[in-house]
Amino acid sequence: MFETLDVFRISSAMAKHAGQKQALAAQNVANADTPGYVARDIPDFKTLYLPEVAASTQRSSRAKHLNGFSGTPGMATPLEEKMGAAPNGNQVSLEQEMLKSVDAKRQHDRALAIYKHAMTVLRSASRSK
Amino acid sequence: MSEFSKALQVSSSGLNAQATRLRHLSENISNADTPGYRRKLVSFETAFANRDGVAEVSPGRVRLDRSELERIYDPSHPMADETGQYDGSNVDLLIELADAREAQRSYEANLKIFEQTRKMSSGLLELLRR
Repeated sequence: MFETLDVFRISSAMAKHAGQKQALAAQNVANADTPGYVARDIPDFKTLYLPEVAASTQRSSRAKHLNGFSGTPGMATPLEEKMGAAPNGNQVSLEQEMLKSVDAKRQHDRALAIYKHAMTVLRSASRSK
Repeated sequence: MSEFSKALQVSSSGLNAQATRLRHLSENISNADTPGYRRKLVSFETAFANRDGVAEVSPGRVRLDRSELERIYDPSHPMADETGQYDGSNVDLLIELADAREAQRSYEANLKIFEQTRKMSSGLLELLRR
């Protein structure tokens, strides 16, 4: 029943997206000293979720497609970032990754807060009957 | 496997790699005065791990620095040749210390991400609480 409620669907997609972002930040930071490593990132949740914005981005309609996201909102395939490289070909900027991870944390907290409060609303609605 | 456990796994591989690097650096520093010692170099590589496409990092093979050994003039040294010189090590303390600083910085960055991920997943589990 909760799956069909939009609030829950959107907030769980948002939390999932934040988790994915955090995993990528962790991967980039772990590889911050690997020669030739290219930093990866996913697009913002907003651009993935809103259909009119997403219309300009690539979509993948088959499993074999390389880029673009498929179906479920908030899930995206990582894109490689193009940034200035260190002498050993590494393109990770630790500062940027830290900002990204804080971003992910805040987005996750926001999504969880929305979920929790929607839950509270449901609970109090069912109690008052 | 959830995104959080992936993130934790990658971070811990980063911590492990940086710790290995720091160990080799301390070996180099402690052997700075050993005659004939060549400094050890460790380079990182991305290990494309198992099934989930998690790009873990692992320390690659240890290589020896093939640059010239320092020639030290000391006729009283037991290893001195007929010109009164012997081979020192090719460790440059300044380079080692700068490298150690960088390793420390990367270690802290990994630790920070680990902490952040842990907080996020415990926030998720808080949802179960009423």
